[in-house]
Amino acid sequence: MCSVGGPMDVEYKERVKGKDYKCKDCGEKFKGVGRKPVCPSCQSDNVAEG
Amino acid sequence: MKYSPGDGVLLIRGLSSFILAAPAQEAFTLFLEDCDGEIVQSVEPDDLVVVSAPEGGPLEPAFLLFRLVRDHHAPLVVLPRGHPGSRRLRHVVSVAPQVLFSCGIQRGTHPEQHLICSSEELAGITLRGTDGAVELEHVPPGVRVEILGEQGGTGHVSQ
Repeated sequence: MCSVGGPMDVEYKERVKGKDYKCKDCGEKFKGVGRKPVCPSCQSDNVAEG
Repeated sequence: MKYSPGDGVLLIRGLSSFILAAPAQEAFTLFLEDCDGEIVQSVEPDDLVVVSAPEGGPLEPAFLLFRLVRDHHAPLVVLPRGHPGSRRLRHVVSVAPQVLFSCGIQRGTHPEQHLICSSEELAGITLRGTDGAVELEHVPPGVRVEILGEQGGTGHVSQ
């Protein structure tokens, strides 16, 4: 039985936190997941962690 | 089992629930919105877009939701645990290279894209996107797999 609406829920230690990225082209800061992070503002893939 | 849906969508059908799945087909940016903020997910063409309908029902709204995400890149909203809206959801969505179906999680509350709520009859199924195809593992006996055309379907899955 699915736990929807009920108290049962599986806890997972790994949550999607995302890494912090900064776009080198427009300066936008964002949290990203995925193999090829892309700036959500200017769509540049010229981004760096941190 | 490996299926190539082309421009169509894979329908994995139990007795009273179903799953729609297909590769994203193109790279795009997907926004995940939760209480802590926004996560920007970079989606690859072979990643899977998956809609689960744990209570079954008509295919049409599930297919609409599938297209909203895959073709129109609509953001996904993640509810906090215990949110009353969780029990209102009839469909849940996941976008990831690999997706595991579980019946032991609360609907709409898990931002982990590799995990999605399903009915008990479809729990344990794993889908993986590879080379434009969908690979299925751990499919329970009695579960049927079909490929819907790009217009989706108008059928209904219920007991």
